[in-house]
Order: sequence, then C-alpha cells, then structure tokens
Amino acid sequence: MSRRLVGTIAPVLAVMVVLALPLVTTDRYLFKVLTFVGLNLIVVAGLALLFGYAGQISLGHAAFFGIGAYTVGYLTADGAVPWLIATLAATVLAALVGFTLALPMLRLKGHYLGMATLGFSEIMTVLFVEARGITGGNDGLRGIPYPVLGPFKIATPGGVYLLVWITAIIVLVLAGNLVRTRPGRALRALHGAELGAQACGIDTGRLRVQVFALSAGLAGLAGALYASSVGYVSPTTFSLEFSVLLVAMIVLGGTGSIAGPVAACVGLTLLPYVDALIPGLPREAVSFLQDWEADIAGIVMILVLLFAPGGVAGLIRSMTRAGDSR
Amino acid sequence: MSSSELLQFLISGLQSGAIYALVGLGFTLVYASTGIINFAQGEFFMLGGVLAVAGVRIGLPLPLAIVAAVVISAGVGVAMERIALRPRRDSGALVLIIITIGVSMVLKSVARHAFGPNEMALPAFTPGPPVLLLGAAIDRQVLWIWGLTLVAVIGLTLLYTRTRLGRAMRATSLSHDAARLMGIDTAGVVMISFGLAAALGALGGAAVAPLTQTAFDAGARAGLKGFAAAILGGLGNPIAAVLGGLVLGVLESLSVAFISSTYKDAISLVLLLAVLFLRPQGLLGKSGREKV
Repeated sequence: MSRRLVGTIAPVLAVMVVLALPLVTTDRYLFKVLTFVGLNLIVVAGLALLFGYAGQISLGHAAFFGIGAYTVGYLTADGAVPWLIATLAATVLAALVGFTLALPMLRLKGHYLGMATLGFSEIMTVLFVEARGITGGNDGLRGIPYPVLGPFKIATPGGVYLLVWITAIIVLVLAGNLVRTRPGRALRALHGAELGAQACGIDTGRLRVQVFALSAGLAGLAGALYASSVGYVSPTTFSLEFSVLLVAMIVLGGTGSIAGPVAACVGLTLLPYVDALIPGLPREAVSFLQDWEADIAGIVMILVLLFAPGGVAGLIRSMTRAGDSR
Repeated sequence: MSSSELLQFLISGLQSGAIYALVGLGFTLVYASTGIINFAQGEFFMLGGVLAVAGVRIGLPLPLAIVAAVVISAGVGVAMERIALRPRRDSGALVLIIITIGVSMVLKSVARHAFGPNEMALPAFTPGPPVLLLGAAIDRQVLWIWGLTLVAVIGLTLLYTRTRLGRAMRATSLSHDAARLMGIDTAGVVMISFGLAAALGALGGAAVAPLTQTAFDAGARAGLKGFAAAILGGLGNPIAAVLGGLVLGVLESLSVAFISSTYKDAISLVLLLAVLFLRPQGLLGKSGREKV
C-alpha cells in the first residue's frame, strides 16, 4: 500500500471511529477524558503551525486558552449571551490579544520570544486571580451553562464529546490543508531562513503576526469549549505547566508535521487517565502516572531532543524511508 | 507618606532587588559563555531554598545546610549542562530553550516529590530584633542578603578581571572559536558558568527563604524576575544585571507604595515586556547588536 493511500485512509478511519464511539458506549468518564483530548487537539493544531512549521516558540498559550474560557464564562453566565456568539467572541478576543502581542514581538526571536510569551502568560495569571469582578478571583466562575445550538442543548458528556471532536476535526483538516498550500510553504520558509523567505517575496513580519494570532484564536476557541463543557473555570487551569505541556506535545510529535503532534497530544493527554481506556488497571499505577506526569513529560521532551529530534513524525518518516529503499 | 515610610519601602525594594540581582547574574553568566537563556535558572533559586530547609531538617547546622544546598545546586547545574545541553550545543536556539524548559519541569517536579507541596521556612541566619535606621526597621536577614549579594558581585568582578579563568570566560563570551584556538578549554568554561549560575541562584533562594518561605514552585516567578533584572540592565554584563535587579526591586516596591500591592508582580512583568519590546539591549547595553 502506498504511503499516500495510508495518509488518506488513516484519518478517515479515525474520524469514523470518533463519530461512532457514542453508538457503542455511554461511559461518562471515557467521554470526559476524550473531550480533554479533543480540546488539546484544537490548541495543538494552532501550535503545530506556530511552532512546528513557523519555528516560533510560545510559552503563553495557556493564557489564550484562559482568555477564551473566562470570556465564555463571563458572557454566558445567567444566559446573558447565546452560547454560539459567546464562543465566537472568545475566539476573536483571544486572536485579537494574540495579534496585539505579536506586533511588538516581531522584533524578538528565539530565547527572547520565549521569555516575552512567558512574561505575558504570568501577567495574565495575575489578572485571572486579581480581576475579581470578571474572573471571580481564586474561586473562579461556576455554573457556566452547557452549549446550546439553536433548539438543541448539548448537556450530555457524549454530546459535548461530539461537539468538541467535530470542532477539532474541522480545525485539524483546515490546518492540514493550510500547510499543503501557499501559506504553509511560506511558514516553512520562515522557519528555514527568514532572510531567504523575505528574498522570495514573503512578508515575513505579517506572516508571523498572522500565525501567532491564528494559534492564539484556536487556543481561545478550545478554552471557550472547555468552559462550557466542564461548567467552571479557575485560574490554576491556565498555568505555565499547561503551556509547557502543550510545547512538549509539539516537540514529542515532531516539527513540520500535523499528524505527529496529534499523536503526541493524544498520548500525553491520555497518560494520566489511562484507566479510562484500560478499565482493569490497578489504582496505584494510575495515581503514579498522574503524580509523575510533569516529570514524564519533561524527561520525554529532553530525551526526544537529545536522541530523536524529529519526534514521532521524524521516526515515522525515517521508517517509511527505510521501507521504500528496500 | 512620611520619609521613614518611604525609606521602609526603599529597603524592601532593595531587598527583593538584591535577590533578583543574584538570579539575574546567573542568566548573565550563562548567556555570556553560551548565548543560551537558561529557562531553568529559577529552579536553582528554588533548589537553594528547599535544599537548605531539608538540610536543617535532617539536623545539619544552618551554615552547613546552606553551603550544602549551594554546592548541590551547582552540581545539578553542571550535570544539566553536561548531560542535557552539551550533546546538542550546535543546535538552534529553539532546541536549547526547550531542553532547559524540560530540565526546569523535571527539577520542579522532582522537588515536589522529594520535599512535598507545602511552603517551608528556613530559620533566620542570625536571629534578633530588626536594626533601626532613621525610623525604618531593617530585618537582620535583609542585611545578610545585601552582604551576600555584595560578596557575590565583588567575587565575580575579581574572578572576571584578576584570574586566568575569568579571562578565559570573557574570551569565550566574545568568540567561542577564537577562544578555543587560543587554547582555552571553552567546554570547561561553559560548565563552570552553569555551575556558578546555579550556585548564585541557590544562594539567593537560601538567603531569602527565612523571609518569604519557599516551596517547590518558587522557581518560575523568581526566574522571570531575575531574567527581567538581567534584561533591564543589559544581558551579558554582570554589573548591569545587579543594577537591573536593584532598579526592578525598587520600582516594584514603590509601585506597591504608590499604586497598589495587587498588581505588584504584574508591574515588573509589564516592565520586562516593555524593555524587551523597546530596548532589548537593556539600560546599559549598546544598541545595534544583532543578538535579539
């Protein structure tokens, strides 16, 4: 079977499994865990473009996720604003904040970009806690209503799961199309050599701002869906650890790929919840994994960069190449 | 506001400023010899504090516990460079950043497993009533912090200007290749820089622990503030890092005095972003260098 055929069939199969799942099970815990996977996939799609393709690091995407979550929490409380409009507003607001931050960051690269996004994220953490009138301070916001689409209230774990995964699939398909077309080539050129890309007529400054705003908007969208799926937001969710975990997913998945980070995202998100997939697992093993999640992610990140800098995508690439040459 | 109140704020600003300076010095040392921003620098601040507390808990006398904490942290810094960074030294900035982030994640998490999630307090180095100065009270621990910072700065200056190793470090910061061609062991210089940087951060963490307590998660914010100090002064220049730290500490403290304590942490971070965006070479740096 040719690689191209596998590349087409595998995602279609995956989508069918995802959509058929509610027909075969009603396990609430499983749906909840998979909802988290879907939410992270939406953020990872944006980060794969920003980091994996354009080579721009961000340690602040948890903050955009938080902006989206708080926006929906604030707007939909007491049913003031319809869910769909609040979600769109959250996405746009996160993208706008990303845009505003990206403009002055155009001057920065590498280490400095990392620190600037980290600084931004910490500022937002302070705001999430201190701007009590909007965010509810340390207590956060509670009682955020479930998503309502026209006449349908999506109030079951299975429904929320479908909503999140359909969104994630749409986002991933769009991201996959984007990287195969002109903007994707421009992003890769930017990563390879910014001067070279400029010489080819690419407005690299504009491109960097656009991709940053896009990834921020996707993080905001995921945050918005998160808020209405779980019903509450609190500031600890949007910490630096989450930003770093997201970066770890891209590193483990491999740069210059969408499928790699998707696989890594599924793996790393499921890691602390493996008991949802394997019901018979002893409790000690699960709590061990949850307790050591950060260590495992950190060590995996270092090991990948030391020994397999291409990540999952790189390994697959070299394996298929070895297969071809036989 | 009376002048003694103002003085009190100034003192508290210079206290946190000295700590930022110690952490910032670590950033500057590593940057000068490698061009790397070590995102794990804040974790050495954390290690200094929690290891000193752990030392006291197992019965070591306080001075020994502090020295042990600083030495162990320096060892961790050296190990980090040897194991995780050296094999990838020729990779791009992105790879190196992420490795240091990974190290920071692991250090923090391991510290949580080893020492628990709770805040820990270190006894004061010399207990006693605060020293009074013009109506303002200075905690004795603050005098220790200032003294240790001063010793660290003088020691570093002597090291840089008077010793062979210091000359090698300065040469390495100007050009790795040229330094190596002159017979300087640049790999050794890099290793020593990481060790020294970790030691300075740990010293800051141990010195401030009696005043503010410490915990496994104290590193990230201390690291950011220290980086802000280094970048405010101008990265790569030790004196500038100290100056940047003191200015940052005083600004923070004055903002508490005149604006509000709620957004104290946000103010120094906004300042960090402003310097990064407007004057990335820092207050004392020369402009026009393509380092950003």
